[in-house]
Amino acid sequence: MARRLEDLRGSLDLVILKTLSLAPMHGWGIGQRIRQMSSGVLDINQGSLYPALQRLEKQGLIGSDWGTTGNNRRARYYRLTPSGRRALGEEIDSWQRFAEGLGAVLRST
Amino acid sequence: MRWVDAARARLRLLLFREEVEQRMDEEFRFHLDMETERLVREAGVDRREARRRARAAFGGVEAHKDAVRDGRGGWVWLSGLRRDVRDGLRSLARRPAFTTVAVLSLALGIGANTAIFSLVNAVILRGSPVERPEEVVNLYLHQASFEFGTLSYPDFEDVRDGTAEVFSDIAASHFVPLTIDRGEGRGVGLAPAEAVTGSYFPMLGIEAAVGRTLLPSDDVARGGHPVVMLDHRYWRSAFAGDPDVVGREMRVGGRAYTVIGVGPPDFAGTVRGLAPTFYVPFMMAEELNGFPLFDVRGHTALFVKARLRPGVTLPQAEASVGAVAAQLTRDRIANWDPAGQFALLPLTDVLLFPPMDVFIRAAAWLLMVVVGLVLLLACTNLASFLLARALDRCKEVAVHLALGASRGSLVRRLLTETTLLSLLAGGAGVGLAVWLLHLLATADLPLPTPVTLDLGLDGNVLGFTFGVSVAAGALLGLVPALQSTRPDVAGALRSENAGGGQPGQLRWRNALVVTQLTISLVLLVGAGLFLRSFQRVQSVDPGFGREPTALMTFLTPATRFTPDEARVHTRRLLDRFRTLPGVEAVGAISNLHLNPLSQSSSDFNVDGFEPPTDHGAFIADRVEVEPGFFAAAGIGIVRGRNFNDADRPDTRPVVIVSEAMARRFWTDGDAVGRLVRRRDEDSPWLVVGVASDAKVRQLGESPRDMIYLPYSQRFTPSLTVVARTSLDPERTALALLAAGRELDPDLRVLETKTMDRHLALMRLPQQLSAFVLSAFGVLALALAAVGLYGVVGYGVARRTREIGIRKALGADGPRVVRLLVAGGLKLVLIGGALGLALALVATRLLGGLLFEVDALDPLTFVGVPLVLGAAALLAAWLPARRASRVSPVVALRTD
Repeated sequence: MARRLEDLRGSLDLVILKTLSLAPMHGWGIGQRIRQMSSGVLDINQGSLYPALQRLEKQGLIGSDWGTTGNNRRARYYRLTPSGRRALGEEIDSWQRFAEGLGAVLRST
Repeated sequence: MRWVDAARARLRLLLFREEVEQRMDEEFRFHLDMETERLVREAGVDRREARRRARAAFGGVEAHKDAVRDGRGGWVWLSGLRRDVRDGLRSLARRPAFTTVAVLSLALGIGANTAIFSLVNAVILRGSPVERPEEVVNLYLHQASFEFGTLSYPDFEDVRDGTAEVFSDIAASHFVPLTIDRGEGRGVGLAPAEAVTGSYFPMLGIEAAVGRTLLPSDDVARGGHPVVMLDHRYWRSAFAGDPDVVGREMRVGGRAYTVIGVGPPDFAGTVRGLAPTFYVPFMMAEELNGFPLFDVRGHTALFVKARLRPGVTLPQAEASVGAVAAQLTRDRIANWDPAGQFALLPLTDVLLFPPMDVFIRAAAWLLMVVVGLVLLLACTNLASFLLARALDRCKEVAVHLALGASRGSLVRRLLTETTLLSLLAGGAGVGLAVWLLHLLATADLPLPTPVTLDLGLDGNVLGFTFGVSVAAGALLGLVPALQSTRPDVAGALRSENAGGGQPGQLRWRNALVVTQLTISLVLLVGAGLFLRSFQRVQSVDPGFGREPTALMTFLTPATRFTPDEARVHTRRLLDRFRTLPGVEAVGAISNLHLNPLSQSSSDFNVDGFEPPTDHGAFIADRVEVEPGFFAAAGIGIVRGRNFNDADRPDTRPVVIVSEAMARRFWTDGDAVGRLVRRRDEDSPWLVVGVASDAKVRQLGESPRDMIYLPYSQRFTPSLTVVARTSLDPERTALALLAAGRELDPDLRVLETKTMDRHLALMRLPQQLSAFVLSAFGVLALALAAVGLYGVVGYGVARRTREIGIRKALGADGPRVVRLLVAGGLKLVLIGGALGLALALVATRLLGGLLFEVDALDPLTFVGVPLVLGAAALLAAWLPARRASRVSPVVALRTD
């Protein structure tokens, strides 16, 4: 079952930041990348990606520039800012603690 | 820096809004294109189907755009505000007639408020340029006759020497009557210059803008320091702001003085409104004003200020000056009033002069309240109009609300519009205020010295105007906005009438009109009382100067003349004046009656009367006169004789007393031949005549005890020539000046003016109050009438169909008019009753400012409501009459 990423608050932002930590990417590419990396388990409503990008840009975690794609189309490329990179590290730590905690609760009998 | 990145992103969103929207479109399009191609490639569907699926996967484009826009958060209201402002400006531009009327009427209100506030700011609020003003105190001589008297120079020396442990520094200043030519053909006027002790500027902490201030080293030897420091404004006007002014010479009182410096721009003396033109060392004062000053205990003319030592409290300082006064009393110092005390008042508590400050503060707040009410009237008128318009738009608003617009955003749009309106009006109001203040500054008021107030628009004033404008805008917009967006959507949509018209909403407009009528009635009653007051003050007979008369004040300085020489000189001058064309009678007096700046009095006792216990003597007003005075001023000698050449310094001292004094002390009314005993001098005065009563200090006073001394026996170096004339007194005054200077080129003339101008000063408070309140009262009445006209007119428009039906059923025109007027009249009656009740309370506060008019003056309280009622009837009748002409056929077709 493919889970909707936006169901879990904060997880969409985290995944976007992680995706951008590999390379700058445009919105459609981010969506594709998330699907590929999660082997289709994580799916997102494609449109809701953009408000999230907007929010992250407002928070100063990512920046954006207009560039051209391989087939020569203009596209908006998002990239991680230094503060975004720091935030990603912190978020991954706290997310892993959260996931471990959640797992421990669910495993307990 | 995270916040820098964030701020940059927000700023871009804010500044390039259109571009951002466009980019968002482009980004979404790119996404859909890419997805479509992927689907074509991977799922093998055709392009149209792929497009459809891509769209479905993306979701609602507009919804996402909104989400992106909301995602900007924080500053989104700012871009919303930008939109509201643009919409508001468009909306105002679409209705130029309404906008013009609204801006103009608000500008009247805001302009009046700004002008009055500028005055209050200049007189009351603006801080003192003095260094640490809270440490500085004013010192007054407190006597039975006058609570806030000035000190004599010997008093000052004693206080200075006796209070070193409480005051770190003490200084005195003294107004020197110098004169300036008012310009071609306008005679001579007083220009206040100040003689200050060397400690004055160091004590106040005032630094010179150019050169240096006067210092203790400039104030050592009597008559030995002909140096002058210029006031900043005077330097700008008389020396064109010459930066090399130091070292230049100027003539002061017939002697060359060297300029040593210029005061700072924010220092205009320590008495608000009376900026000295320049300052000279105190040691030059005696030479300049011609009076003996340094050694005479009784000549009180010094304003004294002192700075408290750190840590010293006011009570400690009071104890210290009290000890000085007690010592003077113990030592039985000549001319020291044994009941005299020194009083201290903090500098920051004094505006001008304590007895006058009470009136200044009262007048200032009264004016603020009045202009505030006028602004409120202008606001209610517009609010009423906007309310009507908002109600007409009720349906439109209801549609907006039904479609999901938030109430807050609709209210905000309306408020933005009215705030824009009032800010425009604020801008126009500042212009109006500048013009009004210019009129005031250039008005030829009959004041004894030019009043210099810095009425410039400083931060205080502009801040006040901005605040008032924003408040007015909010006031204007809030009620209509809240009313028209009341969330009774269904009701408004269902309503048959084009114009909403729920009874509760009409009540708001009615309440506004009632408020207006109430306020204007209160203002008009105030105006009526002051008009009556002015009428009364004009009808007062001062007891002298009823006929056209010219006045000229001149000095015979002790540095030029001995008293005997001065008397000869004066006689030559008066004889010359008697030969001038048109002049019918000439006399001279030391200090003409009704001079608010200066009064003299003498202690006396009369045999058979127990001296008053507190003071030990009776007090009478005292002047020195030359025999021609009585005929020239129109004061009659009702018993006995006038002074004559036989009254010489070596003959028996004689006096003429006022009728009031004669009646009080000699019950048979015949004072001639009786004695008036003096306190310190052995030979008593012999009364040789009784003069008819005249007003001395105030127009409202009852006749006072007054003693006239002969100039021939009691010398005075300052005399006012009184010349009754059959020609224009203005011209005669100039003729006196010319003739005097012809006879004596060095004649020290202080002032030339007409008797009318002299008397006008006493009537000025009533005249100004009546003028100002009447102007505002009439403005208020006009605004209220317009408001009522609007409400009745609106009612007529709303009830056109009803009127049509009534007429179709046979009601005639007059009956319809009566019906409509009656609705307006009800408001007038309620407003009138409320206004009268409020006026009855409010006018009690005016009691002290009125002249011989009861605060419940029946004529005012009957007449004003009649005027208001008539104006209101007219305002209601005009639109009502229009409705009665409505044809039933047309009316029924409306809507």
